[in-house]
Amino acid sequence: MMNWPDLSMGGYGFYIWGSYLVSLVAIVWEVVSLKQRKKAITQQQQQSSNSVPASVLRGSINETTS
Amino acid sequence: MAGGNPNKLAIRNRKLAINMNLYKYASPATFYPLAGKMIPWFAIPAALLFATGLFVGFFIAPPDFQQGEAYRIIFIHVPAAWMGMLLYVLMAIYAGVGWAFNARLSSMMASSLAVTGAMFTAISLITGAFWGKPTWGTWWVWDARMTSTLILMFLYIGFISLQAAIDDPRRADRAGAVLALVGVINIPIIYFSVQWWNTLHQGATIRILQKPTIRGSMLAALLIMLAACWLYSVAVVLIRLRCIILEREQNTSRFAEVGV
Repeated sequence: MMNWPDLSMGGYGFYIWGSYLVSLVAIVWEVVSLKQRKKAITQQQQQSSNSVPASVLRGSINETTS
Repeated sequence: MAGGNPNKLAIRNRKLAINMNLYKYASPATFYPLAGKMIPWFAIPAALLFATGLFVGFFIAPPDFQQGEAYRIIFIHVPAAWMGMLLYVLMAIYAGVGWAFNARLSSMMASSLAVTGAMFTAISLITGAFWGKPTWGTWWVWDARMTSTLILMFLYIGFISLQAAIDDPRRADRAGAVLALVGVINIPIIYFSVQWWNTLHQGATIRILQKPTIRGSMLAALLIMLAACWLYSVAVVLIRLRCIILEREQNTSRFAEVGV
């Protein structure tokens, strides 16, 4: 079975490709939204690092307990 | 003797150093760079395994004798359903540990797992509908397995929105932990639903301690896709965990600025 599978998939094409398309969209959505989230954080960091020294930002992470 | 025995002091220092090493990575600040180094080791194999799994599933595995080509939805549906359940259990464990031992990183891990778990549960529900329509003649039935999986989806959504609704991160962690731990009861219900009730949903394809019900290449494709989903989950959960660490750090530094 090394041939390219028949895209109609014996009449099940819509259901099979539909499932895989939805899954692909979900995975791409997750990865892209994470990239955007990371970008938003670094942008904010750059803004706040103008007023607060970077060492303070880095140091503060250890002191938060609750 | 003032200063104590220097030998004893050295031993105690060494013990302290070992302890520090063990707990070192429980701190978000030290875990952050480690997680960064780990991500490519999961993301790249995940991509390769997704490609391999789909190739085996579509080019090598033969059509099913009963369902023809329609069964090929199994290669995404079953791994997604498993991940939805497994990630929920992991989320509940991390949330519970974070709550019981006041371990912030553990709670952050739970919040990170929730989104990926919800995504896989959504995939399993939607691909299940796509599989149900041609084989059962309906997109949805209130069957035991499907209903319990829908409840799993609501538990994830509940966990995520509950945490989003609470401003104080540690209070959000605790509230989420309660919900996550109570919801664990749903996991065995999903898992055994096809045995406990007469369901429309077919029984397990791969069972622990018993021979699987499908043949070699189909099983291979399914297991490769499952491994791919696992590796993918680890990668995205670590990426999100890093985001959460940074976001909480930013918040606390902003509080420090105004002197709260």
